[in-house]
Amino acid sequence: MNPEITEIFSSELPVGETLRIQRARFAPEKVRPDAKRISVVSGIHGDELEGQLVIYLLAAWLREHPEALRGTVDIYPAVNSLGVDTIIRGFPLYEIDLNRAFPGARNDFLPAQVVHALAEDVEGSDIAIDIHSSNIFLREIPQIRINKAFSEATLPLAKQLNCDFIWIHDAVTVLEATFSHTMNERGTKTLVVEMGVGMRLTKAYGRQLLRGILNLMQREGIIETPTEFKVREPFTSEVGEVFYINAPAAGLFVPALDHCEVIEKEQWIGDIVDPLSGAVRESLYAPNGGVLFTLREYPVVYEGSLLARIFGESDEKN
Amino acid sequence: MKKIEILKLESLSRAPMVVEGYLFEGSDPDAPSVAVIGAMEGATTLPLYSASKLVDFLRNKLGSEKILGNILVIPSVNHYALNINERFWPLDKTDINMMFPGYNEGETTQRIAHRLFEAVQDYDYGIILETRTDLATCLPYVKLFKTGYEDVKSARWLGLKVIHHREPESIETVSLQYNWQLWGAKACSVVCPHEPLIDPASARVIMDSLINFLSHSGIIRYEAFNGYNSTVVTRERIEVIKSPRSGIFIPTQKPGTTVSKDETIGKIVHALEGEVVHRFLAPCDGMITCIYMHSLIFENAVAYRIAKIH
Ligand SMILES: [Zn+2]
Repeated sequence: MNPEITEIFSSELPVGETLRIQRARFAPEKVRPDAKRISVVSGIHGDELEGQLVIYLLAAWLREHPEALRGTVDIYPAVNSLGVDTIIRGFPLYEIDLNRAFPGARNDFLPAQVVHALAEDVEGSDIAIDIHSSNIFLREIPQIRINKAFSEATLPLAKQLNCDFIWIHDAVTVLEATFSHTMNERGTKTLVVEMGVGMRLTKAYGRQLLRGILNLMQREGIIETPTEFKVREPFTSEVGEVFYINAPAAGLFVPALDHCEVIEKEQWIGDIVDPLSGAVRESLYAPNGGVLFTLREYPVVYEGSLLARIFGESDEKN
Repeated sequence: MKKIEILKLESLSRAPMVVEGYLFEGSDPDAPSVAVIGAMEGATTLPLYSASKLVDFLRNKLGSEKILGNILVIPSVNHYALNINERFWPLDKTDINMMFPGYNEGETTQRIAHRLFEAVQDYDYGIILETRTDLATCLPYVKLFKTGYEDVKSARWLGLKVIHHREPESIETVSLQYNWQLWGAKACSVVCPHEPLIDPASARVIMDSLINFLSHSGIIRYEAFNGYNSTVVTRERIEVIKSPRSGIFIPTQKPGTTVSKDETIGKIVHALEGEVVHRFLAPCDGMITCIYMHSLIFENAVAYRIAKIH
């Protein structure tokens, strides 16, 4: 089946081009009035492409299984479409992080108009999934980020998504300007997925999340198929603690471990070295045991740069 | 004058970044104190220039006996961005002015914010020199957040034409002004025009506003000429003019100009065919407060903001 393509925002560009933000809608010819609608969004950050693959796989699946569809599936692969095509994280020219510009407004500057158009279009969906790939600096295992304020409604859905980790975090005022906060406030249960690394595709993660989305859609009655989508049991941040390892000094970070390893307290994580002198400036050791779910991908670091995050049991429980 | 090190940061390949503050100690212990923060961003130089000229004024022109209260000037917090014409922190592109109150165990720019915030916390007044975040240039004006702790009276001492008094957006709750106010300083921002080259006229306006402030607050003894009796403008008073066409944008008026309804204020030229495809007319009587600052404009981009005359 071919989806119906709609432009949700367009703006004539100065020199012979038009900026378009597009949605594809997959829906059966007759949608039952009680059928649910899901929106899958990616590319709010222009340098994050993992979501593009997931959305491609989802669209391809729907084309192959038109008979399974009961509800409406809307996909928005490239919200910051100019950024995606230019490897620019923010809205080009304006240098604005679109995920800090919600809910936006029609009468505000252009990036705010774009996010406003997206929020208006997604509004009314039962569920929304916003797929991010960390950034170019960090590699992340497939995980869902949930705001505590909305976790009662969103946690059960997050568990269906075949991710490895669910991180429930406290609300910060800054996060009010995100897509997920805006949509959750408007009654759409919205989940944020972070996985992989900026500017790259991790094919295995793409397939893993596709399975999760299909599983969720099956449970919500958006698709009906005899296939069983087995999903993994995620660990959630409720049962432990997240430990951050920030660079104590500038230099070149050379990791000693692979991403996603289970590590022990005091284990060697890597070194910060100085190529000019050949000296090791700092060696890093795990402050706690657990899963290394975030690992730095981009090696140049300043003091403070995030090197790794470990999810493990907190000390009191040890 | 004392030069104090606010923070020092090493790098892999660049020389270390040393952020310095210029501290002028006042002679009167009862006089209030002020800290002035210059460029937290790169890619624009008026905040830097204005702060450095203030250092020059206090050090070489005023005479130390006329300095009554403590004055700390930090001209640049982001040398690394300024030196290569980047706007934000060059590695991760984060905005230092979105990292307050800062966190010394956190990411690089959170640490910078933390160390800066520690250095300025005990001052009675705070002035931040900044530029607009939205690709627009403007007349020099005061931005004052409504936090419940803001002080309109001292913002008036700057003597600038306009005080934009408004609620902060959610992301502005991590700005220096907002947090400084919460920590008890009477803080406000002077929003500087965004200019590729220094325009001596607008630089003069900002410099005069800083001197006005110092003199009216009793921090220095100096008989400055009075500035404007500032108009306090709220959001409701700002008229937004969007561009109905894309193309080459040619404003014919400057920020700060008073205009009447239906007066021509600019045009859009077709980028390939050269003809004028749109003329901007002022929708109301008022003053142009800011103008889009790039010569190519997108359809529907905000081209002007005008503060209406009631
Ligand atoms: Zn992202």
